[in-house]
Amino acid sequence: MHIPSTEPPDPPNPKPTTTHTNGASANPPATAPPETPQLSGAELKKRAKAEKAAKRAAEKAAKPSAPAQQPQQKDGRQKSKESKAPAVQQVNGEAGRGAGAQQQHHKRTGSVNAASLAQRPALGATKRRPSQGGPVKEVEKKKVESKQREVALFGHLYGQPRRHSIEGAAKEVHPAVLALGLQMSSYVVCGSNARCVAMLLAFKSVIESYTTPPGTSLARHLTSHHLSPQIDYLRSCRPLSISMGNAIRWLKDLIVKIDPSVPENEAKSDLTSSIDTFIRERITAADVMIAEIASSKIVDGDVVLTYAKSSIVEKTLRQAQKQGKRFRVVVVDSKPLFEGRQLARSLAAAGFTVQYSLITAAAHAVKDATKVFVGAHAMMSNGRLYSRVGTAVVAMLAHERDLPVIVCCESVKFTERVALDSIVNNEVAPSEELLSEGKVLPGGGLGREKDMSKWREKDNLQLLNIMFDVTPAEYIKMVVTEHGCLPPSSVPVVHRIFSETV
Amino acid sequence: MAANVTPGLTPFLKSLKATPVESSIEHFISLLKRRQIRNSRPCAIATTQLLLRVVAEFKGRDVNKLLQRIRHVGQRLTAAQPREMAVGNIVRRVLGLIREVAEDDDADTSMSDAGFNSPSPANDGPHHDSLKRPALSSSISTFSPLRHGATLPAEPTGLHHSESSAGTESTEPHHRPNLFTSHTSYAPMHGSLLNIFQHGEFPGSSASTPPGYHSPTGKATPLMSQSFANLADSGPKKEKDLKAEVVEGIRELLDELDQVDDQIAAYALDHIHSNEIILTHTASTTVQKFLLTAARKRKFTVVHAEAYPNDSDDTHATVLDGRKTAGEADADADERFKPLTAAGITVILIPDSAVFAIMSRVNKVILATHTVLANGGLVAAAGARTIAKAAKMHQTPVVVVSGVYKLSPVYPFDVEELIEYGDAGKVADYDDGDFVDKVDVVNPLYDYVPADLVDLYITNLGGHAPSYLYRIVADHYRVEDINL
Repeated sequence: MHIPSTEPPDPPNPKPTTTHTNGASANPPATAPPETPQLSGAELKKRAKAEKAAKRAAEKAAKPSAPAQQPQQKDGRQKSKESKAPAVQQVNGEAGRGAGAQQQHHKRTGSVNAASLAQRPALGATKRRPSQGGPVKEVEKKKVESKQREVALFGHLYGQPRRHSIEGAAKEVHPAVLALGLQMSSYVVCGSNARCVAMLLAFKSVIESYTTPPGTSLARHLTSHHLSPQIDYLRSCRPLSISMGNAIRWLKDLIVKIDPSVPENEAKSDLTSSIDTFIRERITAADVMIAEIASSKIVDGDVVLTYAKSSIVEKTLRQAQKQGKRFRVVVVDSKPLFEGRQLARSLAAAGFTVQYSLITAAAHAVKDATKVFVGAHAMMSNGRLYSRVGTAVVAMLAHERDLPVIVCCESVKFTERVALDSIVNNEVAPSEELLSEGKVLPGGGLGREKDMSKWREKDNLQLLNIMFDVTPAEYIKMVVTEHGCLPPSSVPVVHRIFSETV
Repeated sequence: MAANVTPGLTPFLKSLKATPVESSIEHFISLLKRRQIRNSRPCAIATTQLLLRVVAEFKGRDVNKLLQRIRHVGQRLTAAQPREMAVGNIVRRVLGLIREVAEDDDADTSMSDAGFNSPSPANDGPHHDSLKRPALSSSISTFSPLRHGATLPAEPTGLHHSESSAGTESTEPHHRPNLFTSHTSYAPMHGSLLNIFQHGEFPGSSASTPPGYHSPTGKATPLMSQSFANLADSGPKKEKDLKAEVVEGIRELLDELDQVDDQIAAYALDHIHSNEIILTHTASTTVQKFLLTAARKRKFTVVHAEAYPNDSDDTHATVLDGRKTAGEADADADERFKPLTAAGITVILIPDSAVFAIMSRVNKVILATHTVLANGGLVAAAGARTIAKAAKMHQTPVVVVSGVYKLSPVYPFDVEELIEYGDAGKVADYDDGDFVDKVDVVNPLYDYVPADLVDLYITNLGGHAPSYLYRIVADHYRVEDINL
């Protein structure tokens, strides 16, 4: 369930699922008014789905126990919407019927309407907090507004807005995880590997400070009641990476397999040492191996092109330099994260000859290059590379010039999921980041607030800031993993073998 | 705002009337060199206005002197900024215009002189001119490809000779011997006239000797006297006519520059269907007007790649307010138009890195261009190559909208020399001294997009396949003007 998730999260038990759909049902009609003129298929579908959900909710609301006042409020809101767009009246009506039920659900789960984290607490573990009870109407309004800013094609990817504060986090969330979440949402910890390692280390301290409540066993309680809130919190900060998903799955598997007869202390130390081993084997040692193998592909006189920043590519380059090879590095970068700038800086400091340009100049950059090394966010089972947005552009241009595109990727980033395009699965980052021009740290709050307000005022204007794209397998000549070099078509095989054994 | 202070197109045009021609030329050259007038449109407008002045101020009666003068100015301008090819294009257009006018005159005079084979007995001297002139202006801006059957435009021998003889720089490389051998295949009327002309004046002189080798004082002298005699024949009114016609022609050219975007936009509905997703790139008035025209009738979505770092500010301004930033002299009123969003079009701004990701959903790519080259390739803002290639990979048609004035007779033998590199400070801040010190930061402004990545060109003349562009080039520029 928790596996690889760049998607808006699927809460793991049925109850939150219903609330989730309800949440959705409240939204689409809200989206509809401004967009009525150009209804794409996706939108229609979404609307139909919303209708259905609303109906279902209405049916469920057999006992109209919702407080009288709240539905009224809601109806009022919807009426205003109706007058705005008569075309969606029916849908709105339906949603209105479901309103009572929604209210109920909202009440039960406590936080669906709360600004950022919405259905996170779920799991019935959380109680409502006064802080979350906030002005429902205002929040909804905000939601409507932000919905207008969503690119319809990517509508399914806009989950909850990223969390930038620990306000309203579930009370079980460990301080280490709290801090990590914020670091992730502001890109302080960024990159598939770094995030995975940081998460595992945080989980280590979670496990260390965990005590099994009386009357239950560690294997039963830890995962569902203690680890899940941590994971949900992390996910609310930023969708989990594939590697994180894989690591979480591995960890859960491990916990479930713990023999209940093992004393808690022993189990905990077992777990923490297993986590250490995992990090060491699957990431640290794997990186060393990959750097070793990949650097052997670099020869004197090469011009190695890389895109954005990958820790393994950097290690590979350094390794090749250590071996005394003489080559040049071209770093291609893109806004808004400018990760390549860090790479170029550190490589230049290490004595490399580095050329730096932006993605618009990629067509020029590949002219000099002889090899292309890129990192991965994940390798899909159909051999496609899921990586920082722009990688596909670079790979395409390199492929055009017959340059080998070599992907450095640990097998922990392999997934059994497949992808054909970059739209079905992706991560949509806040569009404000696009306007920060890299001068202000994203999430730093400063941004270009004034500009942004200007942008927000414009109807029909949307900013799209996706994080990843999918590179077709035919652009990729080789995938270097800790198990050796593979063609992209071998990814599913390797993934299967190693997910079975590990 | 600062437009009054910053040197640029508007202040230059304003100053044009007041300052002497020579200093205007110098002014324009320095503006070009300092890149204070940049991009095709402002360059084209400034060049046309300047040449208009040059022609108006020209104090001579000889066509060839005028050609020489324009050519000389053109050489200086293009030398100042060879990559602004619109400058050279306009100079060539004006040269072609003068030639056209001169040829018409020559044809008229020789016709009236010879007194036979004339279509109607009524045409005589200036009167005939006035009958024939109206056709000229339109033939400048919209040449019919049928007009010149041969690849090389018609060229009367007499003019050519007298030009090379009167010229001070007679070593110009553009005088090709084969021009002479090919004239027999011209259209009947031209051919007969030329034959008459040739046989009458210097029998057999052109058979083997290339014209460039004529010494200025040698065989050509009778011709010169003849052309002067012609001028003298028709009197001062005729000479005045010639200049006036050229000026009028240049005005037509200005009108063309003025209307080109609207003319192109008129084709919009032929190319955009409802609910389409269109990807475009950078800020371009031509593209915006094109899309706006379509937006009046149809609803579609525009995905706008922002072309960071060089054009992103312009792009943002275009998307937000429908105009480019006022940093340049583009702040004049006619540059302003409604943003697409105000026309009810959904505009999605994306960073350039997301081009590949979104391309699978894009129906059509519409690109603006800096220069179109004779082989069907184009030079456009950096990132265009990536977009065109991604479109090709996704089988998405790429449409390039461009005025004919951007069409350059230059053939890209060396693509690299067409690319201009810009301020590296836009890529990596100079504040970051450490970084800029050690890392080689490159910021190319343009991309060369080869012809095979383009599916269609839309110019003010209509839609063309890239493979057809050479024909339009041949229609608009004289072979002898290709090398300025």
